[in-house]
Amino acid sequence: MARSLPLLTAFIALIMSAAADLHGAETVWSGLVIAENVAQPQPIPPELTRIERPLKHLFGYNQFQVIGQSRKTLQTGQEDWLATSKFFGLHVDAQGETEAGYVLNLKLYKEKELLLETDAKLNKRSPLIIKGPQVGSGQLLLVLVVQ
Amino acid sequence: MKTFEEKWTAWLDGQLSGRELTEFEASLPDKAAADAERAEAKKLGTLLKRELSAQALTNDEFFSHQVHERIARESASQSRERYAEVSTWWTIRRLLWTGTASLAVFLVFAVFVIRDKNPAEPSQYLTQILNARVDPVVSPNATVSMFEAKEDRVTVLWTEGLQSLPADYAAK
Repeated sequence: MARSLPLLTAFIALIMSAAADLHGAETVWSGLVIAENVAQPQPIPPELTRIERPLKHLFGYNQFQVIGQSRKTLQTGQEDWLATSKFFGLHVDAQGETEAGYVLNLKLYKEKELLLETDAKLNKRSPLIIKGPQVGSGQLLLVLVVQ
Repeated sequence: MKTFEEKWTAWLDGQLSGRELTEFEASLPDKAAADAERAEAKKLGTLLKRELSAQALTNDEFFSHQVHERIARESASQSRERYAEVSTWWTIRRLLWTGTASLAVFLVFAVFVIRDKNPAEPSQYLTQILNARVDPVVSPNATVSMFEAKEDRVTVLWTEGLQSLPADYAAK
């Protein structure tokens, strides 16, 4: 009994630290999306179902296709990652966590050319949509969501 | 056979008579002093009788006194109760007034607080765009703006005038 007590204590501490880690870790989905109007639109990707209504309402397109994406689980809020398609790259640099979400620096590249840069506080409950350049008859959109 | 003290007391009270009185008065050494003492004793007796009888109450007086006292007591008690009722009623009314006034003050403050809140101020429950810039060389006419679709809890960075690209760039 005396020997099992430290083991039990260590086990409880391990469980508690794991629970704390799970609570702190959140995943940010970053996507490069091409919005278009087509005769036979494809179903919206599952990552975008949450924002389907504002996407259609604000941009006026009926089809949204993900051409590049990244799903990053944040542990410290200081990570950086890249979501890429064949020609575009979205570099996301997390610069700290706040109570409401994450401070992010976003850079959109066309190949190696910087098109757009922005700093944002990404709220855990509020997705960010960025209207990018016109691509053919459609539009490039950048979407960031805390999942 | 009575002692001298018994005979003296009886003489003071005027209860000796006949031969007994004559013999006792003859035995007194100073008759004048004894007469003076008897007179003082009588005076004292009269005084005591008068004073004590003033304190005593006859039955009907006592009853009347009791009734008056009871009436006075009950009247005082009733007036106290009435005062207590009135006092309680005022307290409740005061409480109601206080409650109503507090509610009114709260509503006024609530309205002011809601009015004072700047609607242009970004909500902390939505994503905020801190700044945005485009490369002026690549897209010299580009502009950026931002807005929040609050009903959908979405923040949008809206660009205009970015360089258009051919459809090939939509490749995965």
